[in-house]
Amino acid sequence: MTGLTLALVALVAGARLPADTGHGPGPYDIALFGTSKVPGVVAHARLVYAPSPFGIAVTADGRARYDVQITATGLPAPSTLGPYTTYVVWAATPDLTQWRRLGSMSNGETTVGHVDFNKFLIVITAEKTATPSARAGPTVLHGTSPSGWLQTFLTHPMFRGVY
Amino acid sequence: MAQHDSAAAARHGAPMAGMHGDSMPMTMPIPMPKGMKMLPGLMGLTPPVTPFLPGGGVDPMTLPAAKPSELVRMADGDTLVLTAMLVRRTIRGHHFVMYGFNGQVPGPLIRVPQNATIVVRFYNHIDLPSTVHWHGVRIENRYDGVPGTTQDPVAPGDSFVYHVHFRDAGIYWYHPHVREDIEQAMGLFGNMLVDSPERDYYSPVNREAVLILDDLLMNADTLIPFGKEGPDFALMGRLGNVQFVNGEPSYALHVHQGAVVRFFLTNTASSRTYNLSFSGAPIKVVASDVSRFEREEWVPSVVMAPAERYVVEVRFPHPGRYGFVNAVQAINHYEGEFRAEVDTLGLVTVDSTPATPDYTRQFRTLRTNAEVIRDIAKYRPYFDKPPDKTFTLTIRPRGLPLATVQFMNVDTAYFAPVEWVDGMPAMNWLSTSEQVRWIIRDDATGKENMDIDWHVKQGSVVKLRIFNDPHSFHPMQHPIHLHGQRMLVVSRDGVPTHNLVWKDTVIIPVGATVDLLIDASNPGAWMMHCHIAEHLGSGMMTVLHVDPK
Repeated sequence: MTGLTLALVALVAGARLPADTGHGPGPYDIALFGTSKVPGVVAHARLVYAPSPFGIAVTADGRARYDVQITATGLPAPSTLGPYTTYVVWAATPDLTQWRRLGSMSNGETTVGHVDFNKFLIVITAEKTATPSARAGPTVLHGTSPSGWLQTFLTHPMFRGVY
Repeated sequence: MAQHDSAAAARHGAPMAGMHGDSMPMTMPIPMPKGMKMLPGLMGLTPPVTPFLPGGGVDPMTLPAAKPSELVRMADGDTLVLTAMLVRRTIRGHHFVMYGFNGQVPGPLIRVPQNATIVVRFYNHIDLPSTVHWHGVRIENRYDGVPGTTQDPVAPGDSFVYHVHFRDAGIYWYHPHVREDIEQAMGLFGNMLVDSPERDYYSPVNREAVLILDDLLMNADTLIPFGKEGPDFALMGRLGNVQFVNGEPSYALHVHQGAVVRFFLTNTASSRTYNLSFSGAPIKVVASDVSRFEREEWVPSVVMAPAERYVVEVRFPHPGRYGFVNAVQAINHYEGEFRAEVDTLGLVTVDSTPATPDYTRQFRTLRTNAEVIRDIAKYRPYFDKPPDKTFTLTIRPRGLPLATVQFMNVDTAYFAPVEWVDGMPAMNWLSTSEQVRWIIRDDATGKENMDIDWHVKQGSVVKLRIFNDPHSFHPMQHPIHLHGQRMLVVSRDGVPTHNLVWKDTVIIPVGATVDLLIDASNPGAWMMHCHIAEHLGSGMMTVLHVDPK
C-alpha cells in the first residue's frame, strides 16, 4: 500500500496525520444527522463524564458513564410533526437490542444522561410524553458514539506482512 | 531536545553510572494478550536499548528474601534508617533479583502523627543512583528528592539525610525519583500513614488495611528487561501482566460478618489505571491524596491512576468470599472491539460471626466534612478567574519503526479517553525515550517541558488549565503530579467539580481540559510531571518555581 493510499484510508476513517495537532472533533464529539422530518436542523452532541469523585465515571465493570450535552438549532415544534409534545433522547447499542431513555431535549443546549454502553447510537425522537417507556414517534436526529468508529484491521495489508 | 531538558531526562530516563547488564539478551518476544498478534513488520525487532535488570547477574539465591512491609510507628523527632538494597523475590516459582527498602517490599509502613517531623537516613545500596521522594507531602523543598532540582542523585554506596514534616493527615507514599521505570517497578516504594489528632477524623471501623498496588511484566519465567540508556515502553508505559497487592500476587483478608474495613489504597504501578471493587460490597469514598472529600459518597468502584491514593470504607454484609477485583474494558485494536477484563487481586473471606462493635449505622451515614468545606471556601473566589497558565499535553515521535507509524496513522479513528490495558504491546515495547518525546507545552510561549520558565509568588492561588490533545500521534491519559503543593480540580471540560478534595495527582483523560487551582504556599522549585514512569523518562516534566514572599 502506498503512503498516499494509507493517507486516504486514514482520512476516510476520520483520522489525522501525525503532524496535525489542530483542535477538531475529539473522543467525546458526536455529529448528529437530521432526518427528512427536520430539514435544516443543525445539531451535535458531546459526551462528558457523569459526576464522579474520581473525575472519570465508570461502572464497576469498567464501562465509561457519560452525560450527553446536545446542542441543536432549527428544530421545529414537535407538534408540527404530529401528535407530539417533546423530543426524547435515547441511547441504543449498535445492534439495537438495548435502548435507554436519557431525557428530553429542545433547541439550545440540553444535558441528558447517563449512558454507559461501550459503543452506542444516539437517537432523538418526537414523542407524546417526556417519559415514554419505548420509542413510538418519528426519529429526527441520530449519531454514533466515537467508540463506534472502532474498526477491525485484521484484513489490512499490514497484517499480511506488507510493512 | 534542549540541553536543559536533556540533563533532566538523563536523571529520569538516561544511562546512569553503575548500570550493568550489557551482555544480557533481550527477551523475545514479549507476552501478547490473548487473541492479539504482533504486526509482521515488527517481528524480529527489539528496542534499541541495552537490556538491564538489577544486580548485574548476581545469583538471587545469595540475596535475602524480600520480607513483607513492617509497620514503623514514629513520633516527632524520631529517626529511621532507610536502605535501598537488592533482594530476592520469588514470583510464579522463579527467583529474581529485585529491589526493596530495608529488605521489604513494599518498604516499611511509616505511621506518624500529623505535624510530626522525622529524620530519614537514606542509604543507597543498589546498583543505580537513587533518591527518595515523599509523594504528596508538602515538605521543605530541599528534601523533595528530585535529582538536579533539589539535590544531587545519591550514588551507589552514598547516603542522604531527609527531614520529613507531615503537614497533612492521610495516606502518602515514598519512592525514588531516578529511573522510576526501573527502581519503582522493581520494588522501591512504601507508604506513610499520617494520623490526625482528631479522634473522629474518620468514621469508626472494625479494621484498617493499607494496600499498595503495582504490577510487573514478565514472560513465563523471566522478567522483561528494562532499557539501560532510557525507558522502553515509552508510548504507553510498562503495564505488567502480574498484579500485586502489598508485593504479593494474591491478597487475603479475613473479617467477621458485617465488618466495616477502611482501605488506604495507593497505586504505585508505572502506568496502570485501576478500577477496583469488592464483588458488590458497598463502597464509600472518604478521602484522596491530601485531604478528605467535602462529602463522603457511595461509589460502584474506585478509579485510581498511577500515584493517586484513595481512602474508602467497605462493609462486608454476608458470610462468604468477596473478590478484590480490577475490572476494565480493554480495547482490541485489531478487531475493533471492547473486551471485559477482570483481574482478581485478592479475596476477602467473611465468616458468620457478627462483627463487633456493629458499625452499620455509622457506615450508612455519609458524612459532610465541614472543616474541609470551610478550608476550600477560601479558594472559591478564585474558581472562575481566567487561567494564569495553560498547558497542552502532546507527543512527538522520532524514528519509530515504520510499521508502528503506519499503524498509528490508520488506527486513529478512535482513541479511548483512558487506556486501561496495553492494547499494542509490541509497538509499545519497541518505543524508547529516544524515539518518543512526551511534551508539556506552555501555550503562551510554545516552550516545552524543562524549558518552561514558570514562577509564581508564594501565597498566590494559581489557576492552571491543562488540555490533553486528542489529535497527537498517540494520545493517552496522563496522571499529572505536582510536588510540594496541593491543588483542587475545579472543573473538567467546563463542568464544575461537585465534590472537592485536595489532590497532588490528577488524571487527565485524552481530549479533556482540566482546570486546577494550585495553593502555591510552599516555596521552592517543584516538579510537575506525568507519573507514568516511562512518560516522565521521555521528558514529560516541568518545574513550578514558588518564589518566597
